[in-house]
Amino acid sequence: MTRPDLSPSAPARPAAGNPLLEVDDLHVEFRTRSGVVHAVNGVSYSLSEGETLAILGESGSGKSVSAQAIMGILDTPPAVIAGGGIWFEGRDLLQQTPDEQRRVRGPGISMIFQDALSSLNPVYSVGYQIGEMFRAHRGTSKKEARQRAVELMDRVRIPAAASRVDDYPHQFSGGMRQRVMIAMAIALDPKVLIADEPTTALDVTVQAQVMDLLKDLQRDTGMGLVLITHDLGVVNEVADNVAVMYAGEIVERGTVDDVFTDPAHPYTDGLMSSVPQVEAKGGRLQPIAGQPPNLAAIPSGCPFHPRCPRRRLGAAAAPGRECATDVPPLRLVVPGREAACHYSEEVLGV
Amino acid sequence: MSDHSVPARGVAAGDERAAHRGAAGSTSRSRGTDRTTPSEPTTGATAASAAPRPGKPVAGETLLEIRDLQKYFPLTQGIVFKRTIGHVRAVDGVNLTMRRGETVGLVGESGCGKSTVSKLLVALEKPTSGSILYKGRDVARMSGRALKDYRREVQIIFQDPYASLNPRMTVGDIVAEGWAVHSDVAPKKGRLQRTQELLDRVGLNPDYVNRYPHQFSGGQRQRIGIARALALRPEVIVCDEPVSALDVSVQAQVVNLLEDLQDEFGLSYLFIAHDLSVVRHISDRVAVMYLGSIVEEGTDEQVYTSPSHPYTQALLSSVPLHEPVLRGQKDRILLQGDVPSPANPPSGCRFRTRCWKAQDVCAEQAPALVDRGQGHPSACHFAEAREVVPVDAE
Repeated sequence: MTRPDLSPSAPARPAAGNPLLEVDDLHVEFRTRSGVVHAVNGVSYSLSEGETLAILGESGSGKSVSAQAIMGILDTPPAVIAGGGIWFEGRDLLQQTPDEQRRVRGPGISMIFQDALSSLNPVYSVGYQIGEMFRAHRGTSKKEARQRAVELMDRVRIPAAASRVDDYPHQFSGGMRQRVMIAMAIALDPKVLIADEPTTALDVTVQAQVMDLLKDLQRDTGMGLVLITHDLGVVNEVADNVAVMYAGEIVERGTVDDVFTDPAHPYTDGLMSSVPQVEAKGGRLQPIAGQPPNLAAIPSGCPFHPRCPRRRLGAAAAPGRECATDVPPLRLVVPGREAACHYSEEVLGV
Repeated sequence: MSDHSVPARGVAAGDERAAHRGAAGSTSRSRGTDRTTPSEPTTGATAASAAPRPGKPVAGETLLEIRDLQKYFPLTQGIVFKRTIGHVRAVDGVNLTMRRGETVGLVGESGCGKSTVSKLLVALEKPTSGSILYKGRDVARMSGRALKDYRREVQIIFQDPYASLNPRMTVGDIVAEGWAVHSDVAPKKGRLQRTQELLDRVGLNPDYVNRYPHQFSGGQRQRIGIARALALRPEVIVCDEPVSALDVSVQAQVVNLLEDLQDEFGLSYLFIAHDLSVVRHISDRVAVMYLGSIVEEGTDEQVYTSPSHPYTQALLSSVPLHEPVLRGQKDRILLQGDVPSPANPPSGCRFRTRCWKAQDVCAEQAPALVDRGQGHPSACHFAEAREVVPVDAE
């Protein structure tokens, strides 16, 4: 690896191989006429072979924008990658020409989206669209590409694949369309699969089928999976590690077991107690007060401080740890866990 | 607000509400979790317990009774001469009762007919057959004065707060619009003040009456929809996926607001949602729908801890759990295939094509929704209670 520097607070990497993908201090801005929207503000994470990393956050937290930056599908302009690096297998994608990027990303990193219907082209058969991967990147013939498409549809468990390969997207149900998307995404055996809210539009029984499929595929191929979601349950059931995003920053990071059992950031803590659980009726919900921030006017200091029940302002704060003025860095709180809060130790109770 | 017709309620409820009056607002600081913040001041109702929340009205007399409700939408062919070639059986034999002060949850996946039930209830659609009895009277036969009263007393909150508010009307006009028809509810003079009281009650700044919907966030818009429903002093509110479009942290604010309003005004809710966790949290009784009919019904406890219909079991087993310690502890029931088309549902039991218990009898005989020895009704010939969701360790 030729990566220049590892920040001193880098978490203990999982033992499952070297990092495949590293995002380093990524900044993405949208420069609009009404001002600059800071969608991603210094996000860093890495993904190893076979690892499932969940990016958890609400709408507008920057979780999808950071993934789009990796895939190179941001609309530029208005979006601008204002800083940072995206390292894939030792090369910084952002330093390469668009053509080089395409050759790396095509077979190396792929992505699936929330809304499968609008992500598929309605005027081409699904077989043609899946086969396009082989035609474009491997130069296979139309006939062979179609044959490979049938195999892939079989692999993602679409029943009667051979007879459905010439059907069009509208002839499939929501769950089956998402499988078609997955088939396209895994066609060239990518090292990294980014799944942006893959099951949000699906019913819960279908969600279970699709998550099962993704886990099985990952087990077979050893690919790294970046799972972008707002669903705490999905994170708990499928991910190894989790990064919680708020206002374009990662506010907490660690293994799912640690973070979900004992959150170290007040935002994570608030999320956990605001969601009802199916396993118990529970008492009154504890919502996080207020609204998520406007990314064109992110609060000073800690971006969460206006909503935080533990904020310390003025004289109540420790020197250099005033929540409204001092920006809390993402720092190691206990081994294996990082959080961007001045008072994480108190949140954890250590 | 004081002139609102409010049924008798306990003093404790009043205190509890006072404590939460600000909590609905967006500037609230009232917090406290039983998770990691023992030093935080906790409000009375935060202790995690399955007991009914204080101030919750006790379910009273039967308010709504749905009997054998059916709604078929015709499928037509041809452009000039339309021929009916079949029917989509969106709702096919639904029975449900709702008592005063009660929250009935209706869960099911997309396409199961739950939204059609909500439209039938607020008389936006006419049933094909069957009846909806409101205080003993058939809604389909109401007309004139009675229908007008019914439409005032049964209100609805929609899922999409972006599509259900007219972008050209101010918030004040949206909330007050119902009074143009039901002018006896609010005298003309005090309407502005009354609108502001309503906005305040749902946690919005009363000074916002002249703003437009686009100036609000999703959660705030949903509050406007709630204020609009409250304006006519309804007895029943049909909530059709009221929190599905909201972010998780905002969802809880709206759920709490709905609970507070129920306590304050003695409202009855039909709470329609696909999120099983939210339904369990808010409902007293839960009905599970599949392909146009109800397959299981009972208290939240009965349905969630001892589901006896295979579909309910499969549904519950698909819900991802939030506790790392519970991971992998539940039964995994993965259903095969997709929901059949409601235009051509399977014979006998609707669920038999995806059911692992299906036998010959299931194709021949549609199972009735009756108690089969589990203490609550289940529409399965082979109903058998099974614990699917592990009990929370906490």
